[in-house]
Amino acid sequence: MTVFKLDPEVYKRYKDEVLKLCNSFQKIDQPGLSDKQIAERLGLDERTVTEIRCVAERDCYSLDEWEKAIEFKRRATLEWSALALKRPDLKPE
Amino acid sequence: MTREEQVKAVGLKAGARVVGIAAVEAFREKVPDGYRPDDILPGARSVVVAGGDGPTAGAWRCPDHRVMEITGYDLRENVAVHAMCDFIEGTLSHKALQAPSLPVHGHEPPMSMMHAAELAGLGTRSLAAHIILNPEYGLLYYAALITTLPLEPDAPLAEPACPHPGCAAMYRRIGTTPCLRVCPACLAGTVQDRRIQTSTYDREKCHSRAQTYGIGSFQKGLLQIVNEDDPARRRTMIYSDFFTKSIQSLGFFRDSIAQCFECMRVCPVGRKYRKLQ
Amino acid sequence: MADVPSGAAKQLKSVALKSGATVCGIADAAAFDAHAPAKHRPGDLLPGARSVVVVGGAQPREGDWAATSPWVMQTMGTTERIQGVGRRLAQYIESELGYYALYVPPGTASGETPFLSLMLAAQLAGLGSRSLAGPVLNRDHGFMYWSAVITTAPFEPDSAETTPACPASPCREMWDREGTTPCLRTCPSSDGGCLAGKLENGRAVQTFYDAARCHTRVHTHWVGGFQKVLEESLNEPDREKRKMLLYGDFFTRSLWAITYSSTNIAQCFECMRVCPAAHGLKEMK
Repeated sequence: MTVFKLDPEVYKRYKDEVLKLCNSFQKIDQPGLSDKQIAERLGLDERTVTEIRCVAERDCYSLDEWEKAIEFKRRATLEWSALALKRPDLKPE
Repeated sequence: MTREEQVKAVGLKAGARVVGIAAVEAFREKVPDGYRPDDILPGARSVVVAGGDGPTAGAWRCPDHRVMEITGYDLRENVAVHAMCDFIEGTLSHKALQAPSLPVHGHEPPMSMMHAAELAGLGTRSLAAHIILNPEYGLLYYAALITTLPLEPDAPLAEPACPHPGCAAMYRRIGTTPCLRVCPACLAGTVQDRRIQTSTYDREKCHSRAQTYGIGSFQKGLLQIVNEDDPARRRTMIYSDFFTKSIQSLGFFRDSIAQCFECMRVCPVGRKYRKLQ
Repeated sequence: MADVPSGAAKQLKSVALKSGATVCGIADAAAFDAHAPAKHRPGDLLPGARSVVVVGGAQPREGDWAATSPWVMQTMGTTERIQGVGRRLAQYIESELGYYALYVPPGTASGETPFLSLMLAAQLAGLGSRSLAGPVLNRDHGFMYWSAVITTAPFEPDSAETTPACPASPCREMWDREGTTPCLRTCPSSDGGCLAGKLENGRAVQTFYDAARCHTRVHTHWVGGFQKVLEESLNEPDREKRKMLLYGDFFTRSLWAITYSSTNIAQCFECMRVCPAAHGLKEMK
């Protein structure tokens, strides 16, 4: 027996649904469901739902999104600095 | 001093900016089974929440976003929680524990500190990633303790901190607010009659920004590396700036756990505390 | 070499307690020679070592022991609170007394081997004794975390405990009745656990501890688990299955434990949870 390994086919079948039901995409004042609640709704066991959710959270966006994040923060900080600190020389290209 | 005042005084002296109390029963309405305070400590009666400062005013002014990526988090509210736990057990002879707040399965912690802060009257949810904003101080970080000590709870705030009147006015004029405008990738929302009408938050996209370098980036980088067949390309990936920073951040993750502040940078709530000489 | 000023040990202990330690004791550095292997004795770390100052504290609270969620102590551990006391004492010894002081690093020198056994140091400093379950228990405060400072200062050492906390009288009675004790029953090596032992005339005469198995419980999500999943991922020919491993719950949790190390470093307390001697003497409501 090895560490719990999710069947990729199970993952592909349920990942979108699990992401939709959990706290990944939040609406204010509408908490997402717990893994146990999702399991009851989808007819899966809780452990499998936990595993699907963990993988799906990480898999949701590719590493491209991380590159965009780095650039977003660089620009946003500089734009704010240029305006709020009255330093137009800091404005990003 | 009442017991409530005593406990709060200990927390404030230990470095908390604010301290509030919630009754355990209050968590039943919105918290699923398994994630409530009495699921964690049998016989729990109260949850005491401490809010602590984030980056200093000086850090907010740094044009290099990497500074706050590394020093964004201070941990003082955790110190305050420990001081209050010690007081409750040592002096008041009731059980107390620090509420477990670290994620234990993916992004899910055993208990929500944000919800605890709301119930303890320390803040309300905002358009900006649903961050709990304290009406006086704005962005604070929250930690909590769970105790068998019965305490008179504070009431949740009647007036929401968000939207700020300036943001409500901005929404009427141009249909957006500072936070929604700066980060449309993660945030969307509407304001009506000076209240949040709708608000959505893409946590997974925010994760790529709020924890750019950390556990997630390490896992994603590692998967790419193990899937790369070409040894030369693999080498460049292993030694890349991105993967190196990801590994470094694992070592310092406690201090760097919050790595994007752009929605909060433009938020007017609590901003007066960031204006110094 | 000059002696330390009169009252220095007492003052040192007072500083330790004011800094947050629950107990403070002093061991003779030479006493380690009979018990510790070469390279892991005080003089190996600080040449000329005369004393080892040991502090204990930061123990889990009664609330922690009562918690039904295992995540409480697995993720909110307090061991680092005693480490700060150790560091402070090292600085105090050097700045106030003018002797060399070395704070013993809490990690491992290599593999699972510590630089100096803190449990042995606690015993030799008279702060506790080994239990059937393994951890050193203090008679008054039970289970706690330890930190140590090796120094060339020639403090008067404290004596070792003469009456061990373990086995506690409920455990002796249980042994007479059922041939086991709470800790041995919770984690028996005969049934996939880590512990075995035997009492005779109220004292432990035989103990067995499966350190490798205990490691999988105390450090479930830690460097070892990380290495195992990494190895399995590299050996997995299917790319989709590799993703399942590297993005999965176990690996993610292991990374959290590694990043938050000091609050996550101990992840199994079941033998201590059931131990009547482990929780100190104060009743809590």
